[in-house]
Amino acid sequence: MVPVPIKGAGTNADPNRVGPMPDTDANASLSEKLTALLAVPVVLFFRLFEIPFRAVQRVGGIKAMPYVFLLPNLAFFGVFVVLPLFINFAFSLSGGTNIFLSDRVYTGTEQYEFLFDCANYLDPQTCREDRFWKAIFNTATFVFIQVTCLVILSLVTALILNRKIRARGFFRAVFFFPVLLSPVVVALIWKWILLRDGILNAFLVSIGLDRILFFVSPEWAMFWAIFVSIWSHMGFYMLILLAGLQAIPPDLYEAAEMDGTSPERVFWKITLPLLWPNMLVVVVLALIKGVQIFDEVFVLTGGGPGTATQFIVQYIYTTGFASRVQNFGLASAASVVLGVVLFALTVAQLAATRRKDDV
Amino acid sequence: MTEIKLKQVRKAYGNVEVIHGIDLTVDSGEFVVFVGPSGCGKSTLLRIIAGLEEITSGNVEIDGDVVNNVTASDRGLAMVFQSYALYPHMSVYKNMAFGLENTKMPKAEIEKRVRDAGALLQITELLARKPKALSGGQRQRVAIGRAIVRDPKAFLFDEPLSNLDAELRVTMRKELAALHTKIGGTMIYVTHDQTEAMTLADKIVVLQGGSVEQIGRPLDLYNAPSNVFVAGFIGSPRMNLMSAEVEQSAQGGICLVSGAHRIDLPEIAGVAPGDTVTFGVRPEHILVTDRDNADVSVTVEFSEQLGGQTYLYCSGGGLDDLTVHQMGQMKTEKGDTLHLALDRTKMHLFGADGAVIVNGIT
Repeated sequence: MVPVPIKGAGTNADPNRVGPMPDTDANASLSEKLTALLAVPVVLFFRLFEIPFRAVQRVGGIKAMPYVFLLPNLAFFGVFVVLPLFINFAFSLSGGTNIFLSDRVYTGTEQYEFLFDCANYLDPQTCREDRFWKAIFNTATFVFIQVTCLVILSLVTALILNRKIRARGFFRAVFFFPVLLSPVVVALIWKWILLRDGILNAFLVSIGLDRILFFVSPEWAMFWAIFVSIWSHMGFYMLILLAGLQAIPPDLYEAAEMDGTSPERVFWKITLPLLWPNMLVVVVLALIKGVQIFDEVFVLTGGGPGTATQFIVQYIYTTGFASRVQNFGLASAASVVLGVVLFALTVAQLAATRRKDDV
Repeated sequence: MTEIKLKQVRKAYGNVEVIHGIDLTVDSGEFVVFVGPSGCGKSTLLRIIAGLEEITSGNVEIDGDVVNNVTASDRGLAMVFQSYALYPHMSVYKNMAFGLENTKMPKAEIEKRVRDAGALLQITELLARKPKALSGGQRQRVAIGRAIVRDPKAFLFDEPLSNLDAELRVTMRKELAALHTKIGGTMIYVTHDQTEAMTLADKIVVLQGGSVEQIGRPLDLYNAPSNVFVAGFIGSPRMNLMSAEVEQSAQGGICLVSGAHRIDLPEIAGVAPGDTVTFGVRPEHILVTDRDNADVSVTVEFSEQLGGQTYLYCSGGGLDDLTVHQMGQMKTEKGDTLHLALDRTKMHLFGADGAVIVNGIT
């Protein structure tokens, strides 16, 4: 709400308003008067704020004012983001099932030692907490395949939608649409398609094939987990790449054409290098999002069959909240490990964006 | 050496035709300038020759071969863009070498050509830099260098100097002229600046509204414009163009009546009493004289004293905007009355349709 300025509203002093139609002029000034009248309580309401702010400014001076305005947001951010971060770290150094930190036993790095107690890091079976390592291996597999396919598919789609094709706006909207859907909705839609009696199996049966139990086979479950997450996120990355493609001056393509450049060489030598800053952003963002994968797959497969599609965030969730014994300490330790990975990726992303600004 | 021919070339975007059947021959080794106001189709015509725009009908021929269906990359022409269109992620060397690498030319040969072009354009010390580290003039040279190294059939320039400041434009203009003398290729140059056209061209093509108004050598266009448009477009400051009614003169000839002014002329074929004509006279073909010999008497509105020459902008007696050029310095003040005589031998007369009736009256 912005107070309507009442300055000069009652007068008719504006020389630009004097025109050949005094009728409209009178109307305008009447409506102006009305607006001013209605604004009076609003203005008075906002005047109320001046009293405390003046007092604050008298105490702190004008230089303190920015911090005064930042304070509410900082407090919110601190209570719900920064503080939990430290609490989480404290939890990871403690054991037991008590929820309040003061009731918990200090165990030092025991939780971490438990997580990292492995005979052979390449084989989850040899680890004491094999579910954690299975989740890490699953996440790594997922991220590797999903990010690779996601980036390539987004790039190809962006390249096609950057050309002058029919109904380009429509297709851009279509590819972006899944991004607007809630992950749970996405997962439910695909679940209905993929279930034993789902649409896809109905189709397979109708063309004379056997039905496939997608959520019983670990390979199929992983495949669909990757497929659905690509389907739902591709539009976003496509949009970033499309913006990058459109920022390349068309002159350059004409110059390349005059230079007798083949289309493949134009792609590798002109499009890709000039799109590279956007590509880096896309890759790093996709990596971060990939490592955080949880909601879609949790709804789609529930992490199964067995632990075939259980990822690191689901492991944390299960360990901390969904098991009969709520092991907050172990979940917190796993969160810290995940946090470190995400931090590294974020640093990479910042470095990538900084390089973009240089070009 | 390359000859380029356009035969009845038409270009339409949907239902809107922008190029209306242009016939044109660019002779081998010739420097041809397309000139005209914004939106006259000159850039479109250049892009048609380049192969960046398709034509709706007609033929484009390069050395006798119809190239309508040959892509830009296979026409063997080089183009210098208004925006320079340098590849921002490549060094100057790479920018110039890029087109040659496309042809799978040996590295040593590429290196030699780039270095030669670099030396020719005095950009040798810039070869390792990226385009963003160059000034406008340097980028312009690189863009020209990128065209030169390829040894193209012809060079196409699309308003190459319009992004440079006035001083640099004059310098580059001279260098371009020198470059043409040195390497001697066929060059087609698009500009809206008639000074560039006059100074660079072997042949000027004046375009307006997608049609050719006149083709000719610079001075031919200047001395003998074929219509009012060319008369007004070529030459700076513009030719004075005034509309007049033709009356029978008492002395047996005709008389042009424009406002309060009466200009007596001998009998001219194609001009009869009652016609409406436009007569034109260039600022330098107006003489300051005394009352008795004057064709028109006008008032000085303001003057530009350039030291070596003086421009007087006058009005009066129904003439709004009469420009007079005088060599040397001439003391005048606003409001002074000038008596002017028009040089009949340098006077141009155009009919009501704009086409020339006579250039120079004897």
